[in-house]
This record gives sequence, structure tokens and C-alpha cells, in this order.
Amino acid sequence: MLTILTLTPLGVGLLLLILPQILPGSSADTLRKVNRSISFGVSMALFVIASYIAFENFGGIDWLNINMGEYQLMNDEPVTLISSIGVSWIVGVDALSLPMVWLTALLIPLSMLVEWDAKEGHIFHPLILVMEGALIGVFVALDLFVFYVFWEMTLIPMFFLILVWGGDDRKYASMKFFIYTFTASVVMLIGILIMYFHTGDIAGVSGSITGHHFNLLEMNSEMIQSEGLRHLVWILLLIGFATKMPSVPVHTWLPDAHVQAPTAGSMLLAGVMLKMGAYGFLRVAVSLFPESTVVFIPILLILGMSSLVYGAWVCMGQTNLKRMVAYSSVSHMGLIFLGIATMQPLGIAGALFMMFAHGIISPLLFAVAGAFKHHYHTLEIGSMRGIAHHSPYLAAHMMLGWMGSLGLPLLAGFVAEVAIMIAFWMSFGWLVILPALTLIITAVYYLNSMQKTIFESNDRHHGILPESLHGEEPRDITWHENTSMFILGILTVLFGIFPFIFFDMMSDWSTSFIQDVLLEEIINQGVKP
Amino acid sequence: MNLPLNMSEAELIIPELIMLAGLIAIILIPNFGDASFRIPLSRMKVPILIGGNRFKLTSNPKLPNRVSLAIFSTAFFFALMQTTYGKVGDTLEVTPFSRLFTLIFTAALILATIATTHRIPARANLNAPKDSDSENVATKKINALIDNRRQVDFHIILIMVGLGMSLMSMATHLFMLFVCIELASLSSYILVAFHKESKVGGEAGMKYFIVGSVASAIGIYGMSMLYLWNGDLSLDALALAWIESETVDPIAGIAVGLMLVAFGFKVGAAPFHLAAPDAYSGASSPVAGLLATASKAMGFVALMRILITVTMPESGEAFWFTTIAIIAVVTMTWGNLAALTSTNPKRILAYSSVSHAGYMLAGLAAIGSGLASEEAMKLILTAIVFHLAVLVVFKFGAFLVLSLLETEGRSHELKDLHGLARREPLIAGSMFLFMLSLAGVPPLSGFLSKFLMINGIVNVSAGTGTSDVSSVMDWVTSVEPVFWLAFAIVLNSALSMFYYLRIGLVMFFEEPENNKPMKDALSLRIAIAFCALFTVIIGIGPLSDSLLQMAADAIDSFISN
Repeated sequence: MLTILTLTPLGVGLLLLILPQILPGSSADTLRKVNRSISFGVSMALFVIASYIAFENFGGIDWLNINMGEYQLMNDEPVTLISSIGVSWIVGVDALSLPMVWLTALLIPLSMLVEWDAKEGHIFHPLILVMEGALIGVFVALDLFVFYVFWEMTLIPMFFLILVWGGDDRKYASMKFFIYTFTASVVMLIGILIMYFHTGDIAGVSGSITGHHFNLLEMNSEMIQSEGLRHLVWILLLIGFATKMPSVPVHTWLPDAHVQAPTAGSMLLAGVMLKMGAYGFLRVAVSLFPESTVVFIPILLILGMSSLVYGAWVCMGQTNLKRMVAYSSVSHMGLIFLGIATMQPLGIAGALFMMFAHGIISPLLFAVAGAFKHHYHTLEIGSMRGIAHHSPYLAAHMMLGWMGSLGLPLLAGFVAEVAIMIAFWMSFGWLVILPALTLIITAVYYLNSMQKTIFESNDRHHGILPESLHGEEPRDITWHENTSMFILGILTVLFGIFPFIFFDMMSDWSTSFIQDVLLEEIINQGVKP
Repeated sequence: MNLPLNMSEAELIIPELIMLAGLIAIILIPNFGDASFRIPLSRMKVPILIGGNRFKLTSNPKLPNRVSLAIFSTAFFFALMQTTYGKVGDTLEVTPFSRLFTLIFTAALILATIATTHRIPARANLNAPKDSDSENVATKKINALIDNRRQVDFHIILIMVGLGMSLMSMATHLFMLFVCIELASLSSYILVAFHKESKVGGEAGMKYFIVGSVASAIGIYGMSMLYLWNGDLSLDALALAWIESETVDPIAGIAVGLMLVAFGFKVGAAPFHLAAPDAYSGASSPVAGLLATASKAMGFVALMRILITVTMPESGEAFWFTTIAIIAVVTMTWGNLAALTSTNPKRILAYSSVSHAGYMLAGLAAIGSGLASEEAMKLILTAIVFHLAVLVVFKFGAFLVLSLLETEGRSHELKDLHGLARREPLIAGSMFLFMLSLAGVPPLSGFLSKFLMINGIVNVSAGTGTSDVSSVMDWVTSVEPVFWLAFAIVLNSALSMFYYLRIGLVMFFEEPENNKPMKDALSLRIAIAFCALFTVIIGIGPLSDSLLQMAADAIDSFISN
């Protein structure tokens, strides 16, 4: 099932890209519509499959069965891909990856919907479909080689999304995006290779000329004897994952990429691609090297705290709507690091839920920003005032998104923030004041820009229109934009009120993770359990 | 009569014999005509077929191309089918190693032949100029005739390159090795100068010839010193003498150093690479592709013979370790930095090929460190051979795309690639694929080879850090310096991303100068599509497995010698 989920979008997307070039073409318009419909149809079908996997036994949830070490393997028998170097196709989901897979399958059709009328649509929608395959591949692959392949594969569609459909400065942004993340992941590759080199021969891997394998399920920290080397691997992995997340000081590609990317690109970038970093970090670095994680808690704290504070602080100075949302993403990603740094079940569960909640809220924000750009031709905060008069729906979505992002109770972001704060208090005591105060800054910049954009107009009927409209009346948002934002908004509320849909599963995962792997280390290190 | 070659030996070298027969055939076939010979004092005319008015078939200017394509394809096929191995005479030995390289060489030559089909204009129905023609018309007609004539010359030389390279990979005697290298090299100098459509062609050929000859001369000088030292140049005898001498004899050391210059020039290692970018940019694209793939592979075979077979000590560090390690790092960095500033796509590819030589030299250096177990050594050598094999697919693929541009008389500036995606989406897509593969992006085949290389180096060195240290810094200071070669490769990969992406960028971003689709060169397009396909499927899947297995077998036979 997971194999279908991964390979179908890749195959169909590539076919839709290549076939029209070879076959004698029909008119460009027909082609665009056909490709769009097929892509959307396939992505919807995949969403149904993903939902089926996620909520298969929703009635009698037995989340305890889904935890580390008990992957739901969809393939009974791993398929060997390159036996000479021990690569095989192993896929599976657990509480860590399942929400991410579902999120990806959800966001793809929504982002297609937002850019329903994209120019060069015969390439745009298939490209997003290819992206879906690569993204799901990252989340389900349990073979580090395959994982790395999918990890890098996500770069290519995103590179083109920014390069072809981006804003004015897209050339610079796409290059920066590609080179930054590529460099970081090659550093990560060295870490993976050191791990690979230390794996022993196991049953099921035959004919490997190197005598090693990439199977993540068979790896553990004991395979590397030298503690220093273990720490080095952990740091190499951290560099790769932290750049993707991104964390201060390697975050600078993100604002550029976000501002230039098309709306759909931004939604996927913020919604899923950033989560790849956090996911990989938890899946590989934290799970395999827990005691290194405990040793390096100060590094995580510093990275997380500086991302959180710096991101929020910079947000206050932004005048560009997308830049502000991008920096708020950096800030929220900092919270994930803090959640992991607590090394508490609740903190890790909070971090996981933050990944999920941010994956719903930030696409909503970027959809709003994209629609704003689309209809008002500007992204400057304050150039347009009183949207509420012109586009009440847009204003409502904007408001909901911002409220969710600043952590209003009963919205999805709140659950994650509270969980992380409580765990933080348990681990570090009064230090919790720092992140808590930062949340106030978050509220400040959101409320400030909300006031400037949605309200604050003297003219009750027109608001202040930006110069970029040249005096024309703006149109209201289109039905497909509205639908997409509406669904995201509903989910924000839904997961705010019923967080347990995924939160229970996540906290079970983190509890068993902490209990199974960490108890001894924590006692040794003298950290309060 | 005592034939110098008996049947069982002849069976082993069928691909080479095919090329030899082809060489004779391609000289003869275009000359077949209806000439006849009258027996003196009689009226009987005996047709002798050579000369006279040529037949319609043999006068077809496209014929040499087809003949050489057929020759290389059959040679490739027979090399692929070969299952028996053994010695041929005293100086040649057919092993899986030499077979794999014959495959690499002939594959590159097949691609070069296909690419040439649409490059050198071949026109049927040409007439010699008449007296009544004006000077201009006469010159045009003569030029066209010369073009047709060049078809044959080009392919004759191409086959000589193939023959030299293929024999070279089997040579077990240093002298034979050198003669074969020179056969291939001298032919390739002519091929570079063959690009007469632009002024730089002749200049490039000359430059390449002079620098190459000097390098060869130095190498031969080194070889003569080795002869002075040992009195026998067969590789086995040299290796034996090397093991027996307890310390490195100064004469032998200097001799090997001098030979490194010659082979370093062939692979394009810094600082002997300086002629390479000029040669690549001056040559026509198919020839440049040949230089970047087959010629480089040839240089690496020679390097591996001299460094691994002969001078690698049984245990401990080889005396050339530091030199090669430094050359490797300098080569990859220099290549990448120079490529960043180039605006000629051929120069960019030339410099990228220099940096790739650096990656492979880093692999050799890791072996020379003496830390590698036999397994690790095999692994690194397999990586190098695998890389040389897959280079044919994507490096040559990139040059094929440039060949397609060259049919329009362009491909010397980056702006000729502008907007290729609008004009030819599939060609541009393939080119982007080749660039990504060169940069080493998974799941393409370039990634797999780079991965194996880094893996080999990490494998050799990561175990050397002391295992009882608990802090990162202690480990970092205790690890062997070889480990940092892997880091150098990684950093350089990141650096190289800039210019590979820039090629992608101008294809997809910039406005094209005109929107017309390009020349309908069907065979070239098919070849590009094949290269693109193989770039992907060798990267991941069963085919990569079998190619890796072939490389591993080749290395097994190479080591056991």
C-alpha cells in the first residue's frame, strides 16, 4: 500500500511530463486541462488511500501497537534494489511518519487547488504530483539509501517550481535553495556513510560486495564503538537536518525561497518540506543515538532558542507578508528543537504535534499570502488596509491562520505549544520564561499586521487600496482558493479541539521511545526523569 | 607455416580483430569502383574493383559512418559476449578487466560515431568544378568534396583510437602499454584538430599535440629509467622487483614520478590539465566527449597499472601517497573553481571532467595510504571503474546535446543553451538530468559512483580514529588525514553544484534567441534518449547491480594479476 502511495504519483507525474512531448500534441489548452484533471484525480485518490491507512481502525484505536520498533510494514518481504551495496526497498509507517504521510497526501491536492489556473499548467500540476511521490517516499522509506534518494529528489521539483513560476528574483532564490540544502545533505551523507560502514552483515542481505547494508531497522548505536565517532555522526546528521528545518544560523535560504516561490510551492515547502528535517532528525539522529542527543541537549537548546527568538524578533521588522510568515516558520521550528531537547515524552509528543499543526497552519498562511499577492498584486503589509471590506473570506482565513499560528487556545498550534512548554518546565525549570515570552512577541507581530491589513481603514466601504492595483477594484478570491483555505481552516479548528486524533498516538510513541531507549541514559546522566 | 597467432588466442581478441579488419575495410570500401585491368596483348578486361568510377553504394558519403558504426557495434557485442579469458602472446592478456574497458571504449566510440552522423555535412551527388564555374562556385564545390572526403578520414582515425585503447587495456608490458597509448593519443590529437569549422580547432589540436607529446616524452624517459633499474618492463617483473627492493630505489622512484606526469596528463590531473580545456573547447563535441570519457578511462587504466599493480607495497604507505593525495585535492578544487568562471559549455564540461579526475585520484590516494584492507581496496577500485563506465553515459550524453547544438554551428557559448527548454523540452530535460548526474544527485548513476567513492574512503579511514575517546574533537584529531579526502569531495560537490545548476538555469530560465526547434537529427536524439534512460536506470535498480558486479569481477581479475 505504501509502495503504491509512493510510486504512483512519481510514475504518473513523470508520464504526464514526458508523454505529451513525444506524442503528437493536441492544443495547449486541452493538454493543460487534461494534465490538471489527471494530476488532481490521482492526488485525491492517494489522499483517500492515505486516509484509509491513517484511520483504518479509528473506532477501536489501538495506538499502542504503533510505536517505535513495531513498524507497520506494508511490504511483507523487502525488495532488494541494489544487492551489491545492500540497498533494499523497505517501507513502513509508525506514529512518527503516519501523520506526515497523511499531511502530505492532504496538502498536495489543496496546493493544486490553490493554483488551479497556473500558467504552463500542463507542467505545473504533474510536477507537484512528482513532488508528492518524493515527499511520501522520504516519510515511508526505512532504508537509508532510499531515504536519501527521496530526500534529494524533493529538491528537483521544488527547484523548478521556484525557477519557473516564482517571483522576480526567482533565479537567485532557486539557486540558493538548491545549493544550500544540497550541500547540507551531502554532509549528512557522510554521516550516513559512517553509519553504513559500521553495520554488520545480517541475514537477508546477500551478495553485498561491501558487506554492509542500509536497513534502518537493523541499526543501533552500539554498532559504532567509538563514542566520539557516534557524536560526530550525530553532528553531521544534525547539520543536514537542521538546514532543512531550517534552524538559525543556516536558515537564510528559507525566506528567499518562500518569497519567490509560487503559492503552491510555498505551501508544500512550509507544510511538508521543513518537516522532513524534523522527521529525519527524530527518525535517524535521535532514535539511533539517544545518548548523543542527551549529551548535546545544550546545542539543541541554543539552536532552538536562537531560532525561536531570532525568528520572532525578525518577524516584527518585516514588511513583506510572505517573509514574515517564513520567519515565523523558523521560529516555530525552533520550538520543535526545544521540544526534543526536553527529552520528556510530553515534549517530544509536543514537537511531533507541532510538526503536524504547523503543517496545517503555515500552508493556510501561505495560501492567504498567495491569494493576497494574486488579487492585490503586493505583499507589503500596510499597503492594503481593510481587506475585510473587499474580501471577507480572505480576511476570515487570514485571521484564523494567524490566530492558529500565534497559539490561540482551541486551535491546533496551542496544543503543541502548551505541551512543549510544560515539558520544558519539567526539564529546565524557570528557563521556560524565555520561550514563553517569545510567544508574546509572536502575538505582537501577528496582531500588528492583522490590524494593519484587515482593519484600520477610515473609509468603511473601500479601505485603502495599494498602488499596485492602479486604482482598479480588486476581485474577491476565487472558489478554488476559497475551498482550499476553508479545508485547512476547518482542520486547524478540528485538531485544536480534538488533538487526540493524532496526539495520543504521538505521545504513545514518545513515551515508549523514552522508556525503552532512554531510561537508563537519563538516570546515568542525572536528568530528572 | 607458423602463424604468430593461433586460433584460441584469436578468439580472445575478436573485438580487436574486428576493429583491425574494419580499419582495412574502411580504407578499401569507399574506393571500390568499376576499374578494370586489361591483360596485356589481349582484349580481356579483368575487373580489379579499386579505382575508376565508384559504385553508387560506395560513393555514398554516409557510408564510412555506417561502416564504422557497424564495426564498433559488433566489437561491443563480441566484447559483451566474451566468456573466455587468457594470455595472448607475451604482452597481452585478456581479463574481465580489459573486457570491461573495451566495452567502455567501444560504447564511447559508438556514441561518437552516432554524434558525427549529423555533424560533418555529407552530401551525395557532388560534382567536380568545371572550367566555366566562377571562382566562388568552384571553391564551394571543392569544399563540399573535401567535406565528403573527410568523412572517411575521420572514421579511419576513430577506429585507430578504438584499437589503441582496447589493446592498451590488455597490455601486461609497460612498453606495449605505452605504444598503445601513443597510438590512441596521436590519433586523438588529429581528431581534435579535425574541427575545421572554427578557427580554434587547429590551434587546439596543435596545443594538445605539443603538450601531449612533451608529457609522453617525459613518461618515456621515466620508462627508460625503469628499464635501467630492472632490465625488464613487464608489469609482473616490475612488481616483483619492487617488492624485493626493501626501500624505494631513487631511480625507480623518479622514474615512476616521471611516468605519473604522462598519465596525469591523460586523465587531466592538475597541474597537467591546462591544455585540456582548450582542447575540449576547440574540438568538435563528439571528439570532446571522447576525450572526456574514453581517453580519461585510458589514463586511469595506466595509472592503476603503475600505481596499484607495480608500486603498491604489500603493507604500509605507498611512497606516492602524499603526492597523489595533494594532486587529487588540488585537481578537484581547481577544476571546480575554473568551471565556475567559464562561459563556454564545453569548457565547463572540460573543467568538470578535471574535477572528476580529482575525485577518482582521491580514491587512489586512499588506497595508497596503506590503511586499506584488500576488501576496501577492491571497493575503491570498483568505484573508480564504475565511475569511468557510467561517465560514458552522462558525460557523453551532455556532449551529445552539445553536438545537437553544433549542427546549427553553435555550442561555444552559454547563451547558445538559452531557452533550450522552450525549443526542445525533452533535450533540455535530458541535459538537466546529465548535469544532475554529474553533480551526483541521487538516484542518478553519477550519485552511485560518487557514493561508492566516498564510501570507500570513509571505510578506509573512519576506523582509524581511536575508539575510546568520548569527545568529538579527540576523535577528529585522532583520525587519519585520508578521512578529510572524503570531506574534500563533499565540499567540492557542493561547489560544483553552482555551475551544473547554471546550465540548467539558462536552459529553463533565459529567453531563447529563436524559437525554432532544432535540426531533426533522429539518430542523435535517440542516442541522447538512451543516455538519459541509462543515467536513471544505472542509478538504481537491477542494471546498476549487474554493472557493479561486472566492475567487481573486473577488479578481482585486476588484483589477482
